[in-house]
Amino acid sequence: MEKKTYKSVQTKQKAAGWVFLAPATILIFVMSFYPMIRAFIISLQTGSSANLKWAKPIFYNYTRMFQDKKFLLTMGNTFLYLIIQVPIMLVLAILLAQLLNNKDLKCRGLFRTMVFLPCATSLVSYSLIFKSLFATQGLMNTVLKNLGLISTNINFLGTTGTARAVIIIALIWRWTGYNMVFYLAGLQNIEYSVYEAAKIDGANGWKTFWHITVPLLKPTIVMTFIMSINGTLQLFDESVNLTKGGPSFTTMTMSHYIYNNAFGKGVANFGYSSAMSFIVFILVAILAFINMKVGDTRD
Amino acid sequence: MKRKILSVVLAATMSIALFAGCGSSSKSSSGDSKKAAAVDTSKEGEHELSVYAWDKNFNIPALEAAEKAYQKKDPEFKLNIIEQSQSSDVENAITLAGSSNDYSTLPDIVLFQDHYINRYVHDYPDAWVDVNDADINWDDFGQEKISYSTIDNKHYGVPVDNGTVIFAYRTDLLKEAGYTIDDVTGITWDQFDEIGKKVYEKTGKYLLSMDGDGNDLPYMMLQAEGVSQFKDGKPNFVDNKTMVDIINVIVKLVQDNVLYLANDWSDYTDQTIVGDMVAGVMNGNWIIPTIEQVKENSGKWEITTLPTLSGKEGYASNGGSSLYITSNCKKTDLAKDFLAYTFGGGDGAKETYDDALTNGGVITTNVTCGQSDVYQKGVEYFNNQPIYQQIVQMGANVPTVEQSDYHYTAREQVAAAIHNILDGTDVTSALKDAQDQVEFSMGNDSNS
Repeated sequence: MEKKTYKSVQTKQKAAGWVFLAPATILIFVMSFYPMIRAFIISLQTGSSANLKWAKPIFYNYTRMFQDKKFLLTMGNTFLYLIIQVPIMLVLAILLAQLLNNKDLKCRGLFRTMVFLPCATSLVSYSLIFKSLFATQGLMNTVLKNLGLISTNINFLGTTGTARAVIIIALIWRWTGYNMVFYLAGLQNIEYSVYEAAKIDGANGWKTFWHITVPLLKPTIVMTFIMSINGTLQLFDESVNLTKGGPSFTTMTMSHYIYNNAFGKGVANFGYSSAMSFIVFILVAILAFINMKVGDTRD
Repeated sequence: MKRKILSVVLAATMSIALFAGCGSSSKSSSGDSKKAAAVDTSKEGEHELSVYAWDKNFNIPALEAAEKAYQKKDPEFKLNIIEQSQSSDVENAITLAGSSNDYSTLPDIVLFQDHYINRYVHDYPDAWVDVNDADINWDDFGQEKISYSTIDNKHYGVPVDNGTVIFAYRTDLLKEAGYTIDDVTGITWDQFDEIGKKVYEKTGKYLLSMDGDGNDLPYMMLQAEGVSQFKDGKPNFVDNKTMVDIINVIVKLVQDNVLYLANDWSDYTDQTIVGDMVAGVMNGNWIIPTIEQVKENSGKWEITTLPTLSGKEGYASNGGSSLYITSNCKKTDLAKDFLAYTFGGGDGAKETYDDALTNGGVITTNVTCGQSDVYQKGVEYFNNQPIYQQIVQMGANVPTVEQSDYHYTAREQVAAAIHNILDGTDVTSALKDAQDQVEFSMGNDSNS
């Protein structure tokens, strides 16, 4: 009894704090950090999954990766998607947000819902819809043919250039609305009086956009950039469901290649797959870091 | 207030619906648990065996036939057939058990794809029990088929189906172009190309199609020549003259609109075959049910052998599976006896294979059972040709070629090489690239 009374209120509160923190901390450790450590250990091993041995030299899986033409190809594909898709998508999203933020626009709610709706579809089902749209006997070919733009059906998903384009179009369709919502939220936070002041000063729409909207939206833009880069580097569903990585691996993403190495046909190359996953992790970290530095508003 | 009530009502209905959904799904999954969930071989009765299989129109009827046949010997016998949704589920089950070093999740017997077994026996040696001492006359089987399941001179598997490649043609379309089935039997690939061009010109149909990503053509065409993509365990692409010739043929066929390369497997089956884009199909005979899906073409198809480079009749085999006993089997004697009595050519073999053919279209590789009466019957869909008998005869001629753990890696890389050649890369460098990639994959595993 006596002992308890000696404890100060502060210690008690601290103890309570730890008690509340403990479950979440333990869960994060067990569910998240422990697998990461295990994955790192596996990434240093080779052999069949029943009989993993330490690699010789220890970073064999990591050095080997840069001689793997296929891995480098998939990395190139992923960056191609990143470089083309992310800017187009974010510019579209910001323009749409600007349009839909217009107070005089009728049926705003309806339009916003329509733009956002693609995000409500699951990744697999929208990929399959795009697949059937762009199939050799699909709707797109029929439309183009009836319009007289093409004479024979195009094998969109079987040709490298068009297959990549289809993936990019699909990604833009799926994610523009999602990013637009962030911009809309950001725009709501900009005082209308700022725009009024700009109007009185004689700024036109273009100038207001560049000198008021964009700077004030900067934190949101940085966030969407990081999220999009992260999402694109981990791109998986579209590659698997739309093209299965074909033709000849030219549309395959890094994640898809990693998956194929771990769970693909007849191979269970967990060591090599884990090593590649860590490279993706490092890439995401570096890009996010650069982005945050570039977007840092504190001078 | 109204809004609050409305939202509460909505939330309530949604959660009820979700619960109901989950409830019913869990019910149905428990109902199906016999089919999908884990098995416990230690809880099985004395006369009970469990087996994984994946096709309820094909190999499951064959297993049911075997169960029925063995019940004549052992009336209490029960075969617990656990249906998997696809063959890769069985492979994943082995990978999972092997990786976790816990084989107790496996059934007594698994049906396993022939092209994969080599690699799985090497990767997970503890997962299998050999059937070397089972009472089976191995000489009574197609030797090419047995070569898959014989690993390091030990028999591991008992054959079920037959992967003999058929070349099926639409005789009505050939006729339109002025040819008969005899004109396409025993021809060279160059002659085939000429006929194909004519057919495309007259009917607008390709004479052949294939899945461009999982391209089985190089393997089958090479086997018909008696050549392998591998030599002494190493990929042999660039210096393999036959292979270079074959690849050149494939490229030329595509350029001449004779061969259509589909984007993936479902594109191949659904668009090109069922979608009526082609006048010919060349694949393992398990492709027959796919061809038969188009009811209105009944009677218009006929089968024959493969063209070759020299013009002799070509025989090949692709796909197919065998039954393997896992290390989790507690009653290996019963399992071996069951397999030997039924699929292994024992007293129940004729009954098993006859029913398997009638109910599932499974064709045997057992020479004796292939002479059974049911094989002599003509098949209406194929213009009353006795195709089963023909397939068994063709199967006996398939040359045995060197197999490899890396069959599918090679297939993938050669398919990519063909795409690259069509895009303008020259043949030698594309094949060199593919060969390097296969060697690269091999290098990873030899480092241990």
